[in-house]
Amino acid sequence: MSKQINVALIGNPNTGKTSVFNALTGLNQKVGNYPGITVEKKQGICKLPRGVKAHIIDLPGTYSLNASSLDENVVIELLLNKNDKDFPDIAVVVTDVENLKRNLLLFTQIKDLEIPTLLVINMADRMRYKGISLDINYLEDKLNTKIALISTRKNEGIDKLKQLISNYKEVSVAPCINTTQIDSVYFGNLKKAFPNQLLYKLWLVITQDVNFGKTDRNKIDPVANFKTKSKGDLKRLQQKETIKRYQFINNALDKGQTIDLSQAKDLRIKLDRVLTHKVWGYVIFAVILLTIFQAIYDWSSVPMDFIDSAFASLSEWTKNQLPNGAFTSLLAEGIIPGLGGIVIFIPQIAFLFLFIAILEESGYMSRVVFLMDRIMRRFGLSGKSVVPLISGTACAIPAIMATRNIESWKERLITILVTPFTTCAARLPVYLIIIALVIPEGRILGLSYQALTLMLLYLIGFGTAIVSAYILNKILKIKSKTFFVIEMPNYKLPLFKNVAITVIEKTKSFVFGAGKIILAISIILWFLASYGPGKQFNDAENIIKTEFASKNLSSENLQQKIASHKLEHSFIGIAGHAIEPTIRPLGYDWKIGIAIVSSFAAREVFVGTLATIYSVGSDQEETIKNRMAGEVNPILGGPLFTFASGISLLLFYAFAMQCMSTLAIVKRETNSWKWPILQLVIMTAFAYIVALIAFQVLK
Amino acid sequence: MNTVLQNILAFTTLALALAFIVRKFIWKPKKKSTKACGSGDGCGCH
Repeated sequence: MSKQINVALIGNPNTGKTSVFNALTGLNQKVGNYPGITVEKKQGICKLPRGVKAHIIDLPGTYSLNASSLDENVVIELLLNKNDKDFPDIAVVVTDVENLKRNLLLFTQIKDLEIPTLLVINMADRMRYKGISLDINYLEDKLNTKIALISTRKNEGIDKLKQLISNYKEVSVAPCINTTQIDSVYFGNLKKAFPNQLLYKLWLVITQDVNFGKTDRNKIDPVANFKTKSKGDLKRLQQKETIKRYQFINNALDKGQTIDLSQAKDLRIKLDRVLTHKVWGYVIFAVILLTIFQAIYDWSSVPMDFIDSAFASLSEWTKNQLPNGAFTSLLAEGIIPGLGGIVIFIPQIAFLFLFIAILEESGYMSRVVFLMDRIMRRFGLSGKSVVPLISGTACAIPAIMATRNIESWKERLITILVTPFTTCAARLPVYLIIIALVIPEGRILGLSYQALTLMLLYLIGFGTAIVSAYILNKILKIKSKTFFVIEMPNYKLPLFKNVAITVIEKTKSFVFGAGKIILAISIILWFLASYGPGKQFNDAENIIKTEFASKNLSSENLQQKIASHKLEHSFIGIAGHAIEPTIRPLGYDWKIGIAIVSSFAAREVFVGTLATIYSVGSDQEETIKNRMAGEVNPILGGPLFTFASGISLLLFYAFAMQCMSTLAIVKRETNSWKWPILQLVIMTAFAYIVALIAFQVLK
Repeated sequence: MNTVLQNILAFTTLALALAFIVRKFIWKPKKKSTKACGSGDGCGCH
């Protein structure tokens, strides 16, 4: 049996840690959460020389082992807990060759925990442009470790890194600095009180409480002859520790690293001057957004049409090939149309994440955050609120979790409350199908009306979030202070592998996360639409035949009348008619009402629900879009999906809180039902009023 | 495939779908919490 070792990948943010993880594991990785908390946990398997397998954990980026957020706390808790099943046999600290000095602080801290620690110096391909040269042998000697100089971009040095990891037993565990040097009296007493414990580990346990308030120091305090210092004194000792570490690092880099500034070619300053300019910065950002939405429409139309007709044909084929009966009907009218309703949006969602991944990978996203901070400040939000608002375009749930690094409770609460207004990926299927139905296909200045409408909806979502934040900032009486610090990474050409992995992972989680719910709901809806109580449903055939006996209808027409009658008197029809009076003023019929109610589980269920409802009883091979386009308004006649009802529906989905999972996460993050209930009531009422006004004005 | 078998398959699928939705949104089984550093239970951190 081959041996497996635990490898922890640790590093500052923006050092290319995830690129190293991808280079080592390829697609052999999985993403989950740390137990009990919602910090992302990425792990994968890497085959090493001599048949050794490495279980690699990509830990959240951290600047030091002095945790100040939940993400950073994950790193320190793993490194302090030898009983953890993931406790590393070797720690691999990833650094960026351009920020080596700052990155080495974390390296020295981990090394002092006496864990075998390898140093990876990444982005070696940039050394030439920056005039940097390194004496690796000298640095290995001074830092008492093995060093892998790599470039994930050029795929250089990865084999050497694997080799070094497999020889983990040969890596020195000697510490970088002597902890007692920080304060001989204090650490002397600590050593006397806990003679069998590693001094630096004890120090981290004590100071973690100071920084984060998570670790319980009560176990240390009562020990005889030892008393921890006040918080202020401990902070001063931490500062002393940091100075000692930088002295050590400077000593190593003095001869180990030379930087010839005359050789450095820096495009970054010139680019930053334009991309973060107070006018051009916003213009460029707007142009990039327009290009993205245009591309989402233009590039994905072909695969979407193909998927749509493929599912329609599959449904028809199933109906023709299998014997008649309940299960065949469930497959052809419930499961296949329901699945089609999610699969059809894979191309657009993949393109959206492709662009987001490229913007993040290139380093441009940090400039957007910086740029938007100027605006956010005026609305009482932190610059850090931009990250949840931007990541909310994928999903509100991780976005709300991302508010955890906002120190001020008031700003964090406001960000949590307004983030669900941001257009998430789940709204995309609803928007796309309605836009395709009610917005004409023409173009203006080369941009399609449909793409412009989609972009407008994104801007409406973002704008509503900002305005709501402004109002909440005025209403909520909570006093707090905050600051905004963001690291601007260097500009890089996005790595194909990283972008591809992000797109695959995000699309997969969308399809499988939402897909399971949609499939289950489609099955339940099929049952509710295929069965019903009473004579009207069970005797539908006789009732229709009697009613139309004199009209001499064709067999096909008669079957359609029977199917329509049955659907209207099915369980779902009865429920739909019950809620119809509430939604009729918005321009919707009972079928849309059912889709709205069922999409409370997840917004994207809307399209699948309509696809299921419209296909039950229908014999024709039709695409979802054509079925929706063919629906007739039962009261006014004419198409059900008109410009007025379509815009009303788009606005309803832009503002309504149609996501149970988001409400659950808001409850967890605010530790109260008050906020999610307020969010649900206010957002839904607002959505209803706006949709009502839109329909009544436009009809 | 006779009618009885078709009904059995359809209603079993329906029961599974209902069970999934109930587990997902109404009744979630509680996960066992893992012992973390600082919980004072001999986790090995001090």
